[in-house]
Amino acid sequence: MSNTQSTHLHPAARMYAAECRAGKLGRREFLTRATALGVSVPAAYGLLGLAAPAAKAQTPQRGGSLRMQMDIKAQRDPRTWDWSELANVCRGWLEYLVAYERDGSLSPVLLESWEASDDATEYTLRVRSGVTWNNGDPLTAAHVAHNIERWADASVEGNSMAGRMGAIAEDGKLRDGAIEIVDDLTLRLHLSSPDIAIIVNMSDYPAAVVHPSFTGDDPVANPIGTGPYRPVSHQTGIGAVIERNPDHTWWNEGNGAWLDRIEFLDLGTDPSAWLAAVESGEVEILYQTTGDFIDLFDAVGMVKTEAVTASTLAVRFNQDQPPYDNVNVRRALQLAVDNEVVLELGYNDLGEVAENHHVCPIHPEYAELPPLEFDPDRAREMIAAEGLADHEFELISIDDAWQAATCDSVAAQIRDAGINIRRTILPGATFWNDWLVYPFSSTEWNMRPLGVQVLNLAYRSGVAWNEAAFANEEFDRLLEQANGIPDADERREVMRRLQEIMQEEGVLIQPYWRSLFRHAMPNVGGAEMHPTFEVRYQEYWKS
Amino acid sequence: MLFFLARRVGMMLLTALCLTVLVFYLTNLPAKLETLAKTQAGARISDAEVASWLERNGYGAPMPVRYGEWLGVVPGWVHESPDGTLRGRCIARAADPAEAPTYCGLLQGYWGWSTRFNDAVGSVIATRLGATGMLMLWVMIVMVPSALAVGVLAGMREGSRADRTLSTGAIVSTATPEYVSGVVFIAFFASSTVGLSPLLREWGLLDSPVLFQGNARSAMEGITFWNFTLPVVTIALYGMGYIARMTRASMTEVMTQQYIRTARLKGASFRAIVLKHALRNALIAPFTVIMLQFPWLLNGVVIVEVLFSYPGFGWTLVEAAGNNDIELLLACAVVAVVVVLLTQLISDIGYVYLNPRIRIS
Amino acid sequence: MEELGWGAIFARMAMQFMPVWIGLVAVFALSIGFKRRLGLYGKLFDSKVGMVGFAIVLFWLFTALFADMIATHDPLGQLRGLRNAVPGTPLPDPDGGYEYYLLGGDSRARDVFSRMVMGAREVLKIAPAATLFAFMIGITLGLPAGYFGGRLDTSLTFLANLVLAFPVILLFYLLVTPEIVETGIPMYMAAVLFLMPIIFLTVLWNSRYFVQPWKRNLYIAVTLVIGLWAYAGLAFNADPLGVWGMSPNILNVFVAVVFVNAPTVFRIVRGLTMDIKSRDYVAAGQTRGEGSWYIMLWEILPNARGPLIVDFCLRIGYTTILLGTLGFFGLGVSPESPDWGSTINDGRRLLTAFPHPALVPAFALMSLVLGLNLLADGLREESLRD
Repeated sequence: MSNTQSTHLHPAARMYAAECRAGKLGRREFLTRATALGVSVPAAYGLLGLAAPAAKAQTPQRGGSLRMQMDIKAQRDPRTWDWSELANVCRGWLEYLVAYERDGSLSPVLLESWEASDDATEYTLRVRSGVTWNNGDPLTAAHVAHNIERWADASVEGNSMAGRMGAIAEDGKLRDGAIEIVDDLTLRLHLSSPDIAIIVNMSDYPAAVVHPSFTGDDPVANPIGTGPYRPVSHQTGIGAVIERNPDHTWWNEGNGAWLDRIEFLDLGTDPSAWLAAVESGEVEILYQTTGDFIDLFDAVGMVKTEAVTASTLAVRFNQDQPPYDNVNVRRALQLAVDNEVVLELGYNDLGEVAENHHVCPIHPEYAELPPLEFDPDRAREMIAAEGLADHEFELISIDDAWQAATCDSVAAQIRDAGINIRRTILPGATFWNDWLVYPFSSTEWNMRPLGVQVLNLAYRSGVAWNEAAFANEEFDRLLEQANGIPDADERREVMRRLQEIMQEEGVLIQPYWRSLFRHAMPNVGGAEMHPTFEVRYQEYWKS
Repeated sequence: MLFFLARRVGMMLLTALCLTVLVFYLTNLPAKLETLAKTQAGARISDAEVASWLERNGYGAPMPVRYGEWLGVVPGWVHESPDGTLRGRCIARAADPAEAPTYCGLLQGYWGWSTRFNDAVGSVIATRLGATGMLMLWVMIVMVPSALAVGVLAGMREGSRADRTLSTGAIVSTATPEYVSGVVFIAFFASSTVGLSPLLREWGLLDSPVLFQGNARSAMEGITFWNFTLPVVTIALYGMGYIARMTRASMTEVMTQQYIRTARLKGASFRAIVLKHALRNALIAPFTVIMLQFPWLLNGVVIVEVLFSYPGFGWTLVEAAGNNDIELLLACAVVAVVVVLLTQLISDIGYVYLNPRIRIS
Repeated sequence: MEELGWGAIFARMAMQFMPVWIGLVAVFALSIGFKRRLGLYGKLFDSKVGMVGFAIVLFWLFTALFADMIATHDPLGQLRGLRNAVPGTPLPDPDGGYEYYLLGGDSRARDVFSRMVMGAREVLKIAPAATLFAFMIGITLGLPAGYFGGRLDTSLTFLANLVLAFPVILLFYLLVTPEIVETGIPMYMAAVLFLMPIIFLTVLWNSRYFVQPWKRNLYIAVTLVIGLWAYAGLAFNADPLGVWGMSPNILNVFVAVVFVNAPTVFRIVRGLTMDIKSRDYVAAGQTRGEGSWYIMLWEILPNARGPLIVDFCLRIGYTTILLGTLGFFGLGVSPESPDWGSTINDGRRLLTAFPHPALVPAFALMSLVLGLNLLADGLREESLRD
């Protein structure tokens, strides 16, 4: 991909580079943050005194058709997408302003470059020139502005982009004057508060850029986009076929779109059906593999790729529901669970042990705390002291295999400590009805690049997704403070206390950070697992 | 005869009507509607968003009214959004909202819209039923002759060693549910690491990695021996035992009849007795059983279609039920009722034709 | 410690099953000894098929009964390092408990052997009871329908056909969901369905001892007290003494299973009644001036018992398979439950790599159903010889 980003370096980027060189900041996190501020990838690597990773050793080949196993769900307005799969089908023609790469950097796609003001309240976006829609219209700044306005509209049910565009929105829609169209290919965003995550958010899967004529129903039925592919067929629950669009010249011609045709097959949720399909040669690449199946797919000759992430399973207590309103009960249950055992028995040791505070070591502001205690005897005593020796706890989970297995392990440990507990598994369709109010249940959380992001989303008092019903005045205050500290070291000091509060208050049992895996046949290239499940099939090829 | 048929058809309609009311009620409970909204508009949407989604998509009206809409006796819902665009049950069917019909329900031949598959229910059901039809056809082709053969062979000489062996085999096959046999078949025939395939490869008898395909998705494009054998055999095996046992019982009974004894005394060969005299009479009972097997086989079809990810009627039913796809489920219920009652009718009529002693009054 | 070989595994399993062997030998010795005095049950021991079937069924019955003594580990306990362990794997740290996972560990490191044994208890807790309820309901409704005929028969038959026309899986998908449990529909259904056995027994005693009021009143009183006590506990989970009770989940499954089975029983009973009611002894009873219910319950029913008992055995097997089907679709019973259907479903995904967690319960389920089928066959043969 060509890269013509501005040569002006954001001051914070130099600071981050210094931190990174001093070992205070992970390279991955450095790349995320530096590129978010508008620094190009080679420049970011340059700041570290490194060369950007060379292009892939193997040269991609053009042609061929690829069959991939992936859920095909009924399509709807991109901004309301709630599954990465919905986005992945459309990635061939609906492109993004920026893309989040496997190494944690942001790369420009429909934007040529972007620049943040030094206080991160003003962003200048330059739209790539020479991009045309597949109906012949050229892409302009007005189109981008139209998309941003769509994202900020909170009146559409399920529009999850609205929450990410808070700094340019007001009363559930775009704030007047938040977008300034400078010329045909330049626009400027005026933020009401500093937000270094706004560009990162535009790489999120619901942020697909649609043509102004799109009315908001089905992006497959009316596939106007800027990408090199177009849909041939799309059948929910069965599969979808995508082919290279012969009537359209892609802006990035020659740097992708190797495959002639991609066929997605929806084989249901049972991995043993996928295995059978792989064995009979019906599928060449899988969307995601988990648990014991990783070894099984290895055994049939597929090649595995791994993405280390800050995705996790939060086995949280809802503090509005007795007996979990009692901090001693929550602490006792935490004490009864050894996260390492849960990782081994529930997730096959395919991740890193976590520490019950939902901040990951790959986050820059992560502060190392003393190791967690594990003391089942004391757990039982504490439960007995609260008069709950005969109480039967209930742990609820969705019926997804690895999540259910993890919760079974958590429950087995609590049971081992001599505390009564039973498990309830709810079907996927039912689970989400009450996910915010279950007394004790598990929820899957995907990764966010910064540690404060999830804390803001899920643990600040009164926010929409606060499933733990966690309300702590000190926590809110410190979090507010942390949001305003651009320097990771300074932020880490506040973060340490935030993490401690999370642990002291016994907010959740968070056993591990997941690694994600994908299997493909050896002749499939460019298709490594992506930390946010992206399937950019325009970069895939077959030899 | 005509009166009899009219009565049966009337009964069928009444049964279907009662069942759809029941299904409609169970799928339209408030909690189920919430599930639907969350699967359609996003799992993590708020309660207010759920309410507005339901209102905007025509789920706001009381249940009887909406059932009427589905039947086509109440005008379809119309919703006008603040910017003036009209949405409605019937509007999607016409290019111009002004020309949309007022009623669009079952009576007008419209089966509704599947939320899960984003397609007209009528066309979803038609394609899927076709797929299941192929599966059932092959199941019947495999199951019926082999079951009858086993039954007749066993019942020919009651108590013989052949009878004992075949009867035990039949019992074992009825004791093996599809979810066990299907899985074992896949492991044994369709795995490149265990079972038969690696052995065959070692002996050089097999070029592909597996003998049979453990996934029948490719049968949608073209049925081959290799992709269709396992699902067909899995269903057939479970149903076979029952029919074989019925045939055996019927055959043993016939073999003790006077006319067989007479034929035997006449000096007719055993072969001739079985083929000429016994067989026809012995097959009356199994015929009704085979027909009544249909609804029973439906269970097996659902399991097998899910297990082998073959998108037929059973698979559709599970998808629809799992996603609370109301109108698709209603259609599934109607189809199932018609299939069950129709096979009962055929079984009754066939019984009359096969057995001259019975006449429908 | 060494891994166990198959010989040692089987020897150790045979040891664990000791209470079952003792029970089996005792029952068989007693039954064969007194078989001439035991009616149809005694005749069973004349048929080889019937004896084999009975032995298998009895084996699982005793296993369920003595499950606590047989099981070597907690069926829900997970031990580190024993995920997908092969049969005969020694425990790294037995800590005074049993030293081996006899049939290996499943994908969550639980003992397959203990789960299979405890699973027998789960299965035999629901399947026979649900079948029994279905029979009581089918009989209570089928007898009058067949005997009186007319409008009662037409409407009941219509209702039965209505349920039978429903694809079982669809019915389960609609009935066995958390949303339905919330609405209380299973509870209302239980309230209606569970009332039937009480009505059945009350009518049974009433018709028999109508002329001996004190005896009748005693029997009816006992039936009502125990019946309503159990009724309050089972249907509404409101037993004041806490003896009877069913979790909402199990109740839901139970009701659904009874609901799909009862109409078939109804049809069988109705058909038999229509057949038997034209017999001479029924006519004799009618001329004697016996009440209708007396004739139905004490003349017709005993004469229909042969086919009913046979069907009862077959139906328990069918119900067991049905429960497994529910497990296959992930509906119903508690998630960690060791019942065979769920364990087969859990294990089947990894069958090619680790066959034991799925094959062990599958074999158990097949053998139980096979035993019930053989038992039914034996009973049928013997009852035909009557």
